[in-house]
Amino acid sequence: MHDLERRAFMKGAAIGALAFTVGGTEVLLTPRASRAQGVALRTLTAAQAAMLDALGETLVPGARQAGISHFVDQQISIPAEQALLEARILNVRPPYANFYRAALGAIDRASQALNNGRPFVELSEAEQRSLIDNMRQNKVEGWQGPPGPFVYLVLRSDAVDVVYGTMEGYAALGIPYRPHIAPTKRW
Amino acid sequence: MANEKVDVVIVGAGASGSVFAAVLAKAGKKVVVLEQGPDWQLSDLISSDFWGRRIKPASGPFLLEGKNPFGYVYQAGWGVGGAALHYFANFPRLLPNDFKIKSEHGRALDWPISYQDVAPYYDKVAQDIGVSGDAKAEEIWRPAGAPYPMPSMKTFRHGEVWLKGFEAAGIRMVPAAVAMNSTDYKGRPACIYDGWCHVGCPTGALANPLVTYLGDAKNAGAEVRPLSTVTRVLSNAPGNKVTGVEYYDAKKERQVQEASVVVLAAWSAQNPRLLLNSATDKHAKGLANSSGLVGKYMMAHFASGTWALFDEDVQNHMGTTGAQFMSYDRYGKTSHKGTFGSSFIVAGSALKTSDLGGFANARLDLFGPDLAAFMKRAARGLTRINAFGEALPSIENRIEPVSDKDEFGMPLAKIIHSYDQDAAALWNANFEEGLGIARATGAKEVWSARGNMPTIHLMGGTIMGTNAGDSVTNSYGQTHEIPNLCIAGPGIFATAGASNPTYTILALSLRGAEQLAANWSTVAG
Repeated sequence: MHDLERRAFMKGAAIGALAFTVGGTEVLLTPRASRAQGVALRTLTAAQAAMLDALGETLVPGARQAGISHFVDQQISIPAEQALLEARILNVRPPYANFYRAALGAIDRASQALNNGRPFVELSEAEQRSLIDNMRQNKVEGWQGPPGPFVYLVLRSDAVDVVYGTMEGYAALGIPYRPHIAPTKRW
Repeated sequence: MANEKVDVVIVGAGASGSVFAAVLAKAGKKVVVLEQGPDWQLSDLISSDFWGRRIKPASGPFLLEGKNPFGYVYQAGWGVGGAALHYFANFPRLLPNDFKIKSEHGRALDWPISYQDVAPYYDKVAQDIGVSGDAKAEEIWRPAGAPYPMPSMKTFRHGEVWLKGFEAAGIRMVPAAVAMNSTDYKGRPACIYDGWCHVGCPTGALANPLVTYLGDAKNAGAEVRPLSTVTRVLSNAPGNKVTGVEYYDAKKERQVQEASVVVLAAWSAQNPRLLLNSATDKHAKGLANSSGLVGKYMMAHFASGTWALFDEDVQNHMGTTGAQFMSYDRYGKTSHKGTFGSSFIVAGSALKTSDLGGFANARLDLFGPDLAAFMKRAARGLTRINAFGEALPSIENRIEPVSDKDEFGMPLAKIIHSYDQDAAALWNANFEEGLGIARATGAKEVWSARGNMPTIHLMGGTIMGTNAGDSVTNSYGQTHEIPNLCIAGPGIFATAGASNPTYTILALSLRGAEQLAANWSTVAG
């Protein structure tokens, strides 16, 4: 069979099976569309989602519009064994929501301690970048929470995922995606 | 609930368990394979780094401790096929010098067997599942053997651009041996080089268990029960035989599966955890553990990666996650001055954008607009080489149960792992050499992939040896103390070498399974 035909065949063959493997995971819309339509968050608070949007956008431009907060919210709201988060392969112990709450809390505490009580979302872009850069290098004085470099790694990975890990992301970089079996859901 | 007694129950449907299942089922034995995770099919293997995470466990029953904690989940399997469902299918073998480190250097441990004992099984495995490569070219480093059944894989620019640098360093590169089809093989198609091996190959071109030994086992009548979590190996009152296993099924109901032979093939960490949880009055320290060595000598590989960024489009999304080229030129135990241990060098792995191995992590220090700019350049011109390094076995690297328990009441365990100074020195030496190689390629930018010292592959914990005083199993994986209890997988490695372990796992498993089948009445009787 010709390569391209085989690839197309595999894509077609997969569609029936996905309903089984995805079972229980409710990805209602793309996170971009979810965000645009204001779909209700399931686990994160509005403040946490806004903060995750700001963090994501600082880490990887485009992460906010790509729906990072809806992605994380949806992923920490489903059983851990169904989760597609990078936190999973970084040995974070479920429930993953606990890690995100702890990470966001640590960043906001650091932000307020270092910036006269201002939370992360109220910092200027330069201040946000500075805090993240210090967190990355474990240089935030008085940091309380999961290790800063690890928080950086996990959140940066989420932002990379939503911006560059999707078929759209590959297209934006000019990389042929060439799936054997294409994801039928965005994630 | 008790099930009908079978000849053999195998715990784990990954690489090693699949070999035992195939050999024993073909020998006419009634085989049941119990697998903790889901029953993955090829059609579940979606080409996506997101979806690829689903075939790994969501955490494990292990707490990761020590100076260099194991990167457990990324390495682990979860479900039918095990970790070999997402392995990169690099297929280097161990070399003769791996088996006699104690004799030749007065360090570490000797294996109770030599390379020549395993070599015929490397050749058999290659024929069984299909290996592509150039065996003749490899024979500059090892004794001659059979040719591989398929020619070498296609190469791409992101591998080829390194050859100039290796030549300058005096390092000979040969086509990488990989468990992938360069041509159609045994009804499975040739690879189409889309670079999604690491999330599972659904085409059948990559030799994962579903399309090789496990498929053979099922065809020969083996039964695979997914979502079955084994918690204890059961033994008789005198303590001289095992009688089966206790497990919890998909409904989380307790079951007992009696069997004449038990094979633990649940990977290097879970096998010791099970043995330790199976203590009786006759085996107070756990089964097969009179030596106290169950859970000891846990080993990992580390890698020194070197990145190079070229102006030209090196098509890094093409090819396979496995390597295009490999070299054993630094495999001698004292290859690098002032260090000890083998290094195995590879070049030319396909790159994707995200995930741990994705190229966004090639510059983990970058974020914001700097990262966005880097991603554009990397998409076109980034490529990497890796030198895998050997860490010597240390009894301090171990598994220990803790008081917390899992949902079935089985104690969790901690894996304690630290590298020693020799390993760190070798890691550094390989970085230094890698940079020299990269500079000689003429690349625009080169840098080392330094971060925390990585832990790749998981070996040891139930090492093989000559007697119950120095080891847990013999060279076939049969435990010294209980003849009808066998261990399969990298847990029985006495030392780690620097080669990716799966080829050796399969060869040792084939050797052990054939030995078991040939001596069935003695062992199972």
